[in-house]
Amino acid sequence: MVRLITHNLLACHAKGCTSNNFPLQLKDVQVELRDAEYNADFLRGFISRIEWPALVDAARQLGDTSLPNEPPEMMDDDFLQKLHHVLLEIHIEEGAMICPNCAHVYPISNGIPNMLLAEHEIG
Amino acid sequence: MPAAVTAANVSDDPQKYEIEHVHSVYEEIAPHFSSTRYKPWPIIAQFLASLPAGWVGLDSGTGNGKYLPLPLDRPGDVWTIGLDRSRNLLEIARSAGAKRREVVWGDVLDGPWRPGVFDYAISIATIHHLSTHERRREAIQRLLECISPLHGRALIYVWAIEQDDLSKRSITSAQPKAAISVQEDISPAGQDVFVPWVLSAQKSLKSNGARESSASPRQSPQEDDVEGTQEAKSKVFNRYYHMFAKGELPTLVSAAARGLGLDVGDPDDINQGGGTRGIQIVQDGWERSNYYIELRRWEK
Repeated sequence: MVRLITHNLLACHAKGCTSNNFPLQLKDVQVELRDAEYNADFLRGFISRIEWPALVDAARQLGDTSLPNEPPEMMDDDFLQKLHHVLLEIHIEEGAMICPNCAHVYPISNGIPNMLLAEHEIG
Repeated sequence: MPAAVTAANVSDDPQKYEIEHVHSVYEEIAPHFSSTRYKPWPIIAQFLASLPAGWVGLDSGTGNGKYLPLPLDRPGDVWTIGLDRSRNLLEIARSAGAKRREVVWGDVLDGPWRPGVFDYAISIATIHHLSTHERRREAIQRLLECISPLHGRALIYVWAIEQDDLSKRSITSAQPKAAISVQEDISPAGQDVFVPWVLSAQKSLKSNGARESSASPRQSPQEDDVEGTQEAKSKVFNRYYHMFAKGELPTLVSAAARGLGLDVGDPDDINQGGGTRGIQIVQDGWERSNYYIELRRWEK
């Protein structure tokens, strides 16, 4: 699956591509929404690990504008529900992720991202 | 039926060797293999149960994703992302435990992640499929790099030369023991072997059906042979394994860490003049025909 939780962790790893290689840009994506079990403890613990601007941008590209530009100081339930939805309920089923630095294309097919490299691309 | 283990000689290009003797085999046997892999091992379950809420981790070589739903009593407290080379196993892993999981198609020798982004990583029964010492060390280095340099934790399992009496695998009388020298020569270098996987004709059909549902750009020529032998009663797939010798896994992990400029030891015991970053081996041992090692990264 490529939910935005995973998109926020992935980076380009093509040979020599070590800077400006995150976040991967979403292209021609098809999205499905699916309910996921809400877990506030997970969200409170995980939020410090998020690259926030990358998450907000990716969500907006997918049509979700619910997140503020900066994570709020007060993590109330309303905010955590929105974060939950963005991280865990938007599934990218088809499309591609493209490196902003080297333009390498990582296809997404049937919800699974292909992060394999061809032999000459391996660092 | 006990399956006999035979000696393997790694030759030519190790990457091509693994495509033929590991990756293409798992593509073929994925559904049958998965149906036999459902019970989590106790030490791995304990490790995952000990993680605090909010942590994210990598399961490098996730197979059918059986560890992705853990811990079962705290669902969603942590998220484990599964990575594997077998697309057909990932199709199974994506819904492990009857819920949607996060899985990524990739190679354990690659690091397609923000450096140090994970809080923990596990690699279960995976690194023993790499066919050179150097590649096994590199796979461990990718694990060490993907976890937090401040608090990252990792657990690695590999197959041991020293086999459990209860293990289904045995060396039958037809196979001379000398073929793999399990008893006679416990070398710290381990042993390269083939472990057969017997797929009945019926299961083979199921497997082919599953394979057709996905496209792999790296299918080996071997697959053509499978198509031609479907009427045969069963097909034997030989998977390559490096069986680890006693002491080999901690030595390999230490070499991997030092290769990244990391000290190995308890940070409280490392004197001034030592490094400021390192790993500590938390536990290592043998369980049910496997060696395991748990470590944590530290920085001061």
